[in-house]
Amino acid sequence: MSIRVIASPVRASLARPCLGLRAIRSSIPTHGVAVRHLGIPPLIAQPPGGIVGTVNDAAKVPPPEKVHGSYHWTFERLIAIGLIPLTVAPFISDAALAPAIDSVLVTTTLVHSYFGLQSCIIDYIPKREFGKVHDACMWLLLGGTIVTGYGFYKYETEDIGLSGTIAKVWKA
Amino acid sequence: MNSCRTSLATTSSAIAGSVRRSMMSSTLRAPMVASLRSMATATSEPARPASTPRMKKLKIYRWNPDEPSSKPYMQDFEVDLNECGPMMLDAILKIKNEQDATLTLRRSCREGICGSCAMNINGTNTLACLCRIDTDLTQTTKVYPLPHMFVVKDLVPDLTQFYKQYKSIKPYLQRADYPADGKETLQSIEDRKKLDGLYECILCACCSTSCPSYWWNQSEYLGPAILLQTYRWLADSRDHATEERKLALQNSMSLYRCHTIMNCSRTCPKGLNPGLAIAKIKKSMAL
Repeated sequence: MSIRVIASPVRASLARPCLGLRAIRSSIPTHGVAVRHLGIPPLIAQPPGGIVGTVNDAAKVPPPEKVHGSYHWTFERLIAIGLIPLTVAPFISDAALAPAIDSVLVTTTLVHSYFGLQSCIIDYIPKREFGKVHDACMWLLLGGTIVTGYGFYKYETEDIGLSGTIAKVWKA
Repeated sequence: MNSCRTSLATTSSAIAGSVRRSMMSSTLRAPMVASLRSMATATSEPARPASTPRMKKLKIYRWNPDEPSSKPYMQDFEVDLNECGPMMLDAILKIKNEQDATLTLRRSCREGICGSCAMNINGTNTLACLCRIDTDLTQTTKVYPLPHMFVVKDLVPDLTQFYKQYKSIKPYLQRADYPADGKETLQSIEDRKKLDGLYECILCACCSTSCPSYWWNQSEYLGPAILLQTYRWLADSRDHATEERKLALQNSMSLYRCHTIMNCSRTCPKGLNPGLAIAKIKKSMAL
């Protein structure tokens, strides 16, 4: 308890955590005009040092969710490993197979970048601190991924497609 | 079983031997201890004329909670290396003894076994007692508390959350039943070997506080030190709570905020590899 009492003024006077988006976000006054003007909900206040409860309580263990845990990680890795042969495939495959390989490659890359950016959001715009802003960013990412996917669908079906473009640039 | 007994016998005789030796040496050396302590560095360094002091510049982070309105600042100190032990802890304690008694730090064993004197020296998290003073006198050595932790005073970081997280992984043997003979739970030599490189961790928090993921999300991500300890209990053949322990990591924050940045393995002053332990947990939890 005494440590918490000491720790709380520290938060105000220490300017060391000064990297990343969070620093920019926390530099915005939480009840200022600028935030209200942008319509961004204020940061959720955190206990000093993230300490909840007394010093003798164990940190809380979140409820198990395999979809966000091991299943997510395994799928992420499989996608990443799958990308290695898929990147090489267009160079060595037959031109007739190009649309099929292209569609698999584009889908995998999209899922891969979706997971990568999702990780960035969880790291730098954590739900614990940003609440609805975190959710909004996740929906924005999903929307962006779907729009990009639709764009690629049009590009593959109505134009020369991804490997066609690379081949064109290669020869140019 | 036979080999077990042999190894036990050798260990006990080795212990007896070391006890005898240390008793002998302490009785021999007892009257000279004070003079030997100051001599230790002089003998390890090449002979120099005592008249030329080798002044090493140090910049040390200072912040006093009694004056919360004044900002933290770097204070300059100078230490004569001719009259100082070889390690950073020696230099800092010399400053505390002779120049500024208000300089605050944690220290205990001065030999890298307690993990108290973890701090950031020249940009690297390490134990001050295991870090040699850079003898280049033109360079200033900078000393900060562990990065991205709340500071209690000067070089003392607030490790409350770190210890709370350690408590949350239940760092003790959990078993459904114990041997019927009422004796200790046995383990084969091979199974014991799996704990090498894990049990040596002294929880100095050097690795966790070097991890950017831990900097951003330390209230939810467990960090390399605690995950290494989790693996220490997952790898223990005597522990029966493997599934419960793994289930506690099944969320996006506790374990999977590790992005294999590997600062942990690079900084560990004990030469352990928390990054590898985390990778092994991930692998064991994958399909």
